[in-house]
Amino acid sequence: MEILEWIRLILGGTLLLSGLIIFFVELYGIFHFHYVLNRMHAAATGDTLGISCSLIGLMIFCGLNFTTFKMMLVVAFLWFASPVSSHLLSNLEVTTNENLKKYCQVYENLSDLEKELKEEKNKEKAEEGKV
Amino acid sequence: MQINETITTLDKVYHGMYISVLVFLALMLFGCLIRAVKGPRIADRLVAVNMMGTMVMVIIAVLSLLLKQGYLIDICLIYAMISFLAVNVISKVYLGVFVEKQQEPKEETLEDGEKGGKIHGNS
Repeated sequence: MEILEWIRLILGGTLLLSGLIIFFVELYGIFHFHYVLNRMHAAATGDTLGISCSLIGLMIFCGLNFTTFKMMLVVAFLWFASPVSSHLLSNLEVTTNENLKKYCQVYENLSDLEKELKEEKNKEKAEEGKV
Repeated sequence: MQINETITTLDKVYHGMYISVLVFLALMLFGCLIRAVKGPRIADRLVAVNMMGTMVMVIIAVLSLLLKQGYLIDICLIYAMISFLAVNVISKVYLGVFVEKQQEPKEETLEDGEKGGKIHGNS
């Protein structure tokens, strides 16, 4: 029986540690990128993958319990909540930043972007036809 | 009633692991705090606060296993909801304040320029 307990410790510890490593990567990304919309990409990693990895590790420690179910509920809630808050934050940033063009390409009309995408697709098709 | 107070090596390993995880998470929390103080824009600070909420949730979950109190996970769930609500409300409030500030000077110039004339002028 003791061997089983040790296996559980190793399995859960590995998952918990990988969750911590993902949190560290998130922190590194927050300091590495130079603009909010890039930073948000790094910050969303920990909200979904980091917390689910570390909470699955804790679930393995806990065993089959009602506590495990509640941890699952936390992870499921964050999967729904994190994209919504990310969307609202990016909306706030794009609306309030007056010189957004300094940081990224901005299309005034959506039709311009669609035109460019169509041209790129046509180019790709032409290249494929040549090959 | 038999009192069983034998501390096995497994318990020691679990305890040490929990404590080290808590210390590591606390150190990363300070890093997030630095970003929240430094961040040049409002959205930067909100992203950092959101990250801190996630890390605090993991800390509470680890603490509930360390203290062997299952109900602490309830606090974790409530913390998730409150942090989501806080980010949403603060971003909405900032958006509303910005839109109001943008609209105010336009209306004043319109009223000064054309008294009682067209309201929707292109000036």
